Amino acid sequence: MLSFLTARRTGVDDPLRLRRAESTRRVLSLELNPDRDVDRIHGNGVNTIDIEVIDGRYMLSGGADGVIVIYDLENKNKKPQYTCKAVCTVGRSSRHVHKFSVETVQWYPHDTGMFISSSFDKTMKVWDTETLKPAEVFHFEGNVYCHHMSPVARKHTLIAVGTKEPKVQLCDLKSGSCIHVLQGHRGEVLSVKWSPRYEHILATASSDSTVRVWDVRRASGSLFTLDQHNGDKSKAASEAVNTAHNGRVNGLCFTADGLYLLTTGTDDRMRLWNSATGENTLVNYGKVANASRTCLRLTVSRGCSPEFVFVPCSSSVAVYSLHTGELVTMLRGHYNNVDCCQFHPDYQELYSGGKDCNILAWVPVLRQPDIEVEETATAKGEQQSAVNPVFVDAWSSDED
Amino acid sequence: MDTEKRDKLSELVEELTTSGEPTLNPAKMKEVKKICRISNHYIEHLYHLIMTQLDQEHAEIRLSAFHVVAELFSRSHHFRVLLVDNMQEFLDLTVETDTDQPLPPPKEVAQKLKRLAIHTVQSWHATYGEAYKKLALGYHFLKQVKKVDFQDVEARTLAERKRQEERHRRLQTLYKEKIEKAKAEMEETCVDIEESLTEIHNCMNLLLPDPLNFNMCNLEPGARSTGASLEPGASTSLEPGASTSLESGASTSLEPGASTSLEPGASTSLEPGGGSSSSGSEDGQPCCSQDLQKESEMVENKESNDSESESEEHPNENCFLRNSGIMSHKYSLELNISTDVNLQESEDNEALLNTVRDLHRLITTKHLPSVQSWIQVFTRAGGEEPLLKRSLDLKNSLEAALEKHTTLHISHRDRQRRVVRAEDSDEDFEEVPEKEGFEPHILDDLREEYGLEPLVSTSVSAVTQKPPRQLATKRVPVASSRTSRAKRKADEEEQDPTSAAATLRILKQSLPPTVTDSCVASGSSSSVTPTEVGEEKNAPVVPFGIDLYYWGKEQPTAGKIIKYSSTHQFWVPNEMEEEVVNEELSAQMKSRCITFAGRFQPVQHKCRAPLPNGALCERQDRLKCPFHGKIIPRDDLGRPAKREDAERLEKERMKRQEEQPDWRDPELMREIEAATGEDLGSSKTFGKGKKKGSKGKGKKKKKYPSLTDLKQSANTSRARLEKKVFNKSSMRRVTDVMNKMDTRKHDKFSNQFNYALK
Repeated sequence: MLSFLTARRTGVDDPLRLRRAESTRRVLSLELNPDRDVDRIHGNGVNTIDIEVIDGRYMLSGGADGVIVIYDLENKNKKPQYTCKAVCTVGRSSRHVHKFSVETVQWYPHDTGMFISSSFDKTMKVWDTETLKPAEVFHFEGNVYCHHMSPVARKHTLIAVGTKEPKVQLCDLKSGSCIHVLQGHRGEVLSVKWSPRYEHILATASSDSTVRVWDVRRASGSLFTLDQHNGDKSKAASEAVNTAHNGRVNGLCFTADGLYLLTTGTDDRMRLWNSATGENTLVNYGKVANASRTCLRLTVSRGCSPEFVFVPCSSSVAVYSLHTGELVTMLRGHYNNVDCCQFHPDYQELYSGGKDCNILAWVPVLRQPDIEVEETATAKGEQQSAVNPVFVDAWSSDED
Repeated sequence: MDTEKRDKLSELVEELTTSGEPTLNPAKMKEVKKICRISNHYIEHLYHLIMTQLDQEHAEIRLSAFHVVAELFSRSHHFRVLLVDNMQEFLDLTVETDTDQPLPPPKEVAQKLKRLAIHTVQSWHATYGEAYKKLALGYHFLKQVKKVDFQDVEARTLAERKRQEERHRRLQTLYKEKIEKAKAEMEETCVDIEESLTEIHNCMNLLLPDPLNFNMCNLEPGARSTGASLEPGASTSLEPGASTSLESGASTSLEPGASTSLEPGASTSLEPGGGSSSSGSEDGQPCCSQDLQKESEMVENKESNDSESESEEHPNENCFLRNSGIMSHKYSLELNISTDVNLQESEDNEALLNTVRDLHRLITTKHLPSVQSWIQVFTRAGGEEPLLKRSLDLKNSLEAALEKHTTLHISHRDRQRRVVRAEDSDEDFEEVPEKEGFEPHILDDLREEYGLEPLVSTSVSAVTQKPPRQLATKRVPVASSRTSRAKRKADEEEQDPTSAAATLRILKQSLPPTVTDSCVASGSSSSVTPTEVGEEKNAPVVPFGIDLYYWGKEQPTAGKIIKYSSTHQFWVPNEMEEEVVNEELSAQMKSRCITFAGRFQPVQHKCRAPLPNGALCERQDRLKCPFHGKIIPRDDLGRPAKREDAERLEKERMKRQEEQPDWRDPELMREIEAATGEDLGSSKTFGKGKKKGSKGKGKKKKKYPSLTDLKQSANTSRARLEKKVFNKSSMRRVTDVMNKMDTRKHDKFSNQFNYALK
């Protein structure tokens, strides 16, 4: 650390290097911190969370009971102890609340004044944050599993929506109507993601175990489908279509730079693809337990030197190194299945929501003051006891 | 880290958790703590050991392990960190948070573990909640997601509570409906009930204004006056309080002829409770005593009408005597007398009695049950105090009315009897007794019980069945069969000297006795002399057969077989027919098989073999007790009384003991012997060996003898039967048989379309 600082000060290093090293260290030391709490608002499982990218302050969460909550993540009171307050809630009492489980929420990428939510009640609503009223409601024929709005799009305001129908719908915010349909899948569309690199590139994952990559400017069909065998026909058996997984594909995630695409499937596998060529990079992540029927939200760290993947894995969040596939750690804290996790790029914090109604904040452990550690063990013990008496062992004297 | 200590720790944990006791052994626990104090490494080791034990599929192991956890959790920070880190699994294993992983049996212990775990988690949360985030999370998870109510003593989860509430609610709605229904019903029928109550009260008041005094004084003189003049038979069945005359009547009627004339129908069938007036020469006495009771009852009844009846009796009695002149034929007298007397009575109160009867029936069959059902509904549902009170009041008044009616009841019945006899028309006759609980139709099989003769339709059939009786009643032939009401009515007719029936009877009387005798004697083929009367009584009744048909005659064709040697159309051999006498066959024709089954005699003795609980075996088998073998005389302590028996038993016991080791698995025996260094094969160490053997039966049991054996609970009779019935070989056998049956059917009927379709 000191060497990084010195190098930075002397200008030997690129400023990015220090930042990367520190954020990597922080990601690696993520743990459940007693100082950080998130208000318990949801009375039912948390399906989805989203953190806005404008100033990284507000977090959206959608629950299985249709409730949408906006949290304030910023700690303004200068103390380590902080509970993320719920700023506002679209609760059950609201007139506009989703009737059924909210599957996806997303901030409007360019402004916090608007967010979009989609739900199993076959609607997608565009909300005005200020009034908490829907500015626009899109109706669909089937349950809406997911939607996504391109984070980088300047030329279009399209929302890709995956529903129970095999067609991927493109809704335009400008016209307030569904303007385009992408046909090709043969099952429910469980996940859609826009590329963070090219504004017209869209990836969709379906229960027919295929993942298709589209250029929305091309009406005829998808650019390519991801093939887990990389065109090796002998392994692909008799299947006519290229498959990404041997089961439903329910998780999609681009890396922050948009060069790679991660998919998870109910075959308990996670795969990393080259998003430009559609080639399977064959990174072995091992078994990633995945029994979710709906969309699984995995996320990728940003700004670390080896990037990390956070995948909900039954009741914990598994942290993998992106390119080596090495399991770094398991973040265990939820008491039931974890459905979603979101990485906060500014503070290297992870937020995860699960069926146990909790949203847990995984916060990097603060670096211990190095010098004091080297003092005697007794001093350490004393210091610990000063911090919290419950950490002290309490052996009764008669046990000798 | 010391390996020795480590092993010791493992050993201690295993001992602690498999003790099967509800609490931990404090000494061992202390040792565990001592070791853990030394270093965090031991704590880690202990933690892993405990988690393995918590994962065992046995609630007792888990409970003990949980006790250890609770002990250490309050002691060691390191242990807390380790445990809290794996809180999910811990809760799964102890609080049953995952419904897919229920707590293992035994159920009670699992329940206890769950309760304890929930309370412990709560207390942990109170103490360490802030410091250990996951603990707090777990607590909130339990509280908010699993909806565990920590105040609830039962520690039920939400689902259980909901289920219970649901049930409760359903019951409530059900009760509500019932209450509504009962309420409506009550509104409807209350008026009716009250009306019928007043009605029955009024009726009873009318029937029984103030009975006490004049009945008593009226009865006495009547009885006295009739006592002397009447024939004994008549007096017994009719006269109230005529005790002295009854005695004399009994003594005079001891001759067989008189006794039989007392029995049939008329007197006995009218006593519903009558028991003992059966056949035999002593009949007169029971008959009298029975009637005596009845008489005394009648006195108690204080019927106002009785006095009238008494006074009416004498002229008629005398009149009858004059008319018929038959002294031995007593009970027909009585019938006539009562007829005349009661006719007047019924005219007076018939309407009242009918009303009372109807009301009584209405109350017993309709009102009382419905009121009782209301009460049941109201008490079960609760809350409806006034309604309940009202229905209770109703019930009480109804019951009071019934009570009063039962006091009247007997009087009703007696009166009824008179009314019955009085009735000339058949319909009334039919109706009246039934409604009073009196049984005019006594089922044939019950008649025996009631001391009645079996109902017979014709005198001839009576002859075949009861020859002696017929003989005895020769003088009054019709009387023997006079059991049915029709007969009685006929009798009544006969008593009237002007009727045709009476003439017929006289004719019958004058007929020679041989007419009936020939019928009787069809079996014995001898004329009956008076000396044979006693023997005939004991003669068995046998079904008619071919031997009886040819009784005393030569059977022409007995045992003869005609052989047709040729059946050719025209080619006839010399001998046309040939008769072969088959001795066996002819003997068969003449002989009769009589099965002698003997008479059933209930077993008087008991097995009396000593039981383990100190009592003596109470079984009453004839020869052999299924548990203790042949029944032998035993003394008070259950020891065999005879020497040889005792020796035999001792020998048998020894033999059983010797057989015992063969049951056990020889391999296991060898194993145990090798382990213990003892010789278990000999019968000397039989008891010990058996104990060892049973202990070592299951591997787990041998390992942890103090734990509840989970498999044992499955050892029910059902399970054992299942083992027998559903084992592979028997199943196969059954299917084989069934298949065979199927194929046979197929072979037989395969050309029939409905089988062919199969």
